[in-house]
Amino acid sequence: MKSPFAYQPRPRPLQLASPGASVAYLGAIVVVAFLYSNPLVLLAAGIAAVSAGLLAGARRAVRLALKMGLGLGLLIVVVNALVVNRGETVLARLGEWPLFGRIDVTLEALVAGLSGGLRAAVTIVAAAVYSACVDPDRVLRALRPLAGRSALTATLVSRLVPVAAADAARLSDAARLRGPGAAEVGKAPLARRLLAGSLDRAVDVAATLELRGYSLDAPRPRNRRARSRYDRRFYAVAAVVLVAAVACKALGADDFQTYPSVEIGLGGATLALSALVALSGLAPLRRTPKKRHPAADGTKTVLYGPKSSRRRGREEMAGV
Amino acid sequence: MSELAIRRGAAPALAVRGLGYAYPQAAKPALEDVSFEVAPGEFVLLAGRSASGKSTLLKAGCGLVPHFHGGEIEGEVRVADLDAIVVGPGELAAAVGYLAQDPETQVVSTTVAAEIELPLEMRGDEPADRARAVEEVALALAIPHLLGRAVDTLSGGELQRVALAAALVARPRLILLDEPTSQLDPVAGDELIWLLRRLNEEWGVAVLLAEHRLERCLAAADRVLAMEGGRLAFDGPPAEFLAWARNADPALETPAARLFSLAGIDPLPIGVRAARQTLRGTGTGPPPHSTCSGGASAVVRDSVAREVQAVRRGSVPRLSEGVLQAANLWVELDRGEDPRDVLKGVDLTINRGERVALMGRNGAGKSTLLRTAAGLHQPVAGKITVDSIALLTQNPSDYLVRERVGDELPGEEGLRALRVVGLEEKVDADPRDLSGGERQRLALAIALAGQMEGEQLPGLVALDEPTRGMDHARKGELVNLIEALAGSVEFVTSGATKATGAAVVVATHDVEFASEFAERVVLLGDGVVIADGPMAEILSGGWYFATEVARVLDLPGVVTPEQGAAALRGEAP
Repeated sequence: MKSPFAYQPRPRPLQLASPGASVAYLGAIVVVAFLYSNPLVLLAAGIAAVSAGLLAGARRAVRLALKMGLGLGLLIVVVNALVVNRGETVLARLGEWPLFGRIDVTLEALVAGLSGGLRAAVTIVAAAVYSACVDPDRVLRALRPLAGRSALTATLVSRLVPVAAADAARLSDAARLRGPGAAEVGKAPLARRLLAGSLDRAVDVAATLELRGYSLDAPRPRNRRARSRYDRRFYAVAAVVLVAAVACKALGADDFQTYPSVEIGLGGATLALSALVALSGLAPLRRTPKKRHPAADGTKTVLYGPKSSRRRGREEMAGV
Repeated sequence: MSELAIRRGAAPALAVRGLGYAYPQAAKPALEDVSFEVAPGEFVLLAGRSASGKSTLLKAGCGLVPHFHGGEIEGEVRVADLDAIVVGPGELAAAVGYLAQDPETQVVSTTVAAEIELPLEMRGDEPADRARAVEEVALALAIPHLLGRAVDTLSGGELQRVALAAALVARPRLILLDEPTSQLDPVAGDELIWLLRRLNEEWGVAVLLAEHRLERCLAAADRVLAMEGGRLAFDGPPAEFLAWARNADPALETPAARLFSLAGIDPLPIGVRAARQTLRGTGTGPPPHSTCSGGASAVVRDSVAREVQAVRRGSVPRLSEGVLQAANLWVELDRGEDPRDVLKGVDLTINRGERVALMGRNGAGKSTLLRTAAGLHQPVAGKITVDSIALLTQNPSDYLVRERVGDELPGEEGLRALRVVGLEEKVDADPRDLSGGERQRLALAIALAGQMEGEQLPGLVALDEPTRGMDHARKGELVNLIEALAGSVEFVTSGATKATGAAVVVATHDVEFASEFAERVVLLGDGVVIADGPMAEILSGGWYFATEVARVLDLPGVVTPEQGAAALRGEAP
């Protein structure tokens, strides 16, 4: 089965946008997560990342990333609560623990952990949406003029990772299909076999690259600019979010203090920024053309013909 | 020589003179003193058994040998006037395209459009030129709808076309293909061959095609080269090749040619059309569209009808009933796009001792059915019960993780499994040193081990596409093994062992192979059973899922050359 994080072309705005626009948009959400500690703003950034992924059709990627991100977030909360004894509101006294010493679980340490955990979760979800929705070939093609060989190596890695995952799944199936009288397959032989298979794969891919002319040192022509009608939208949203985030930070929207006692700023700037960031998650929303009755004004509305948005989307995906 | 001169046909597309080659540390050379030429626009078929040197020869044509594989080489290989021994595959890429057997190993990009465009980008073509070339090759290969797709969502046939598009996008004058249809169903395989013929005729691309299933492409070829032990054993037109193969290597005969040989009819036909024309000319056969009325045809029809009825009534003795029972079986798979139903209400019962060919086009649900029977997938509706199953998947090497056969199969149970597949003598061998067929049997033994009660095999032995890349001789060995597993004959190579009676189900695209081992054929189409009956009936009743003999004679129930020859002689098969 294909990894949920693997890129899947879909005729949705986030996938159709140029890599620069998609990266700017998702990057703005991540920047907000690193710029702010206020849990409300972080929550808004999380909502934006999840909405963006869902609107882009990356449901499985978002679901798995949420599981991973929230799991990691919970771990950060627990660890922070156990290792930080600061804070005035003691919720539990767990006594002396070997290595840790005296453990007092405080509300402040929990909230501080929550902030860090949310940040990690937002980053993971945004990265998952990027991975599932942004075409790595287009990203690397954009980077190729800067570092041709490195970009191609990265392309290869991005190709070999899912292939290795598929090989691992096949080997795992074969291990399950061994009769009860056959020797058990330990993890070490399986890993060795996977590694050997990956090396074979790498050799095959290297041969293919040779045949495609990789060894030629031909001058690289300037790539045509990958344009999309959605680019402006994503660049604009990214710019608005970044400018608002910086401005609101200057206005004190990140008013958040954990020690010695919790103080979460919920001023107008914080609320406004949170609302703006959360709404930015709607940027990948696809406008559905209104259906008009052909006879309404005497002209035909082309829904599936050569000029339809679905057709245009397919053409953009194919880079035509 | 100028490019214009080459395009006008002044230089051969490929010229090989006195070519000898040995892989690094190989005990013997892979190629010895091979000389031939391929003219511009010529369609040449490369025949020969496994390990006869076909793949190595193709790799020499595209520069992978010796530039990528190393080794020692002598002689001369010229591609469109470029010395392939001096210049590497990159420089040759503009003049020659290469397509290997497994398309999975030939894609390096994430999307189809990027994959096809890559060679042009590497060559430094301008974006506008690249866009046009991609569009044109996509149209030529009928894949424009795939351009926006991710490569890992494509079927085997689609992936093979994409790899072919990437090989052709630079408009080479020569294309080298190494068994490109081995993973394709009959429909996709035939389409690919005729696509090559069209490219050959309309674009003037010279084609050098290595294939085992010669019946599929002999009619499309202008000329045949046959390899034997690394040497060129034959070079001539298809009709002469058949006459040569009849005496020199009958394993290379096509079924139609074998039919004519057995029936004593000349000349040997290069395809179905030629065979039917000859039969019409001699007045010995039933075409066009056999009426089965009287004479030889009537005798055959009655005989086959009796046989079919016998199978239908279950007069063939069975050791027990229903080792696999599926009732309204629905299986849903999610391959990264939207989840879809791969099996849609399959009802099927398979009995112990039966030899069943599970057929259908790529994506019809054959592998999914076997994997569900083995517990790798769970049904979303309906149920499936299996007595016990040993499943060999498409890649036998996946089962081999240790460096000694005995370590894979320890103890008495392991030895018993090795005996069943005839490998008890190989206990101390390294699996990597075994031949392809032996590795396949070892993998089967691993799946069987511990599932046998005494000499009794598990209820069901299932093989998924076991004949990929196999020549006719190796397929014959596999037929023997299947018959032994089903308990119908003694397994001769294992000496004393005669294991009794599993149901053997083989998912396969290979119609000729199915006609050799199966007594029943289950045809799947888009997740449902669309035909289920005696092999002779199913494989003589269609266009694609029919043997070559069945297509030549069009007689119900006549599928093999032996049956066909008997029919032509007016005897009951």
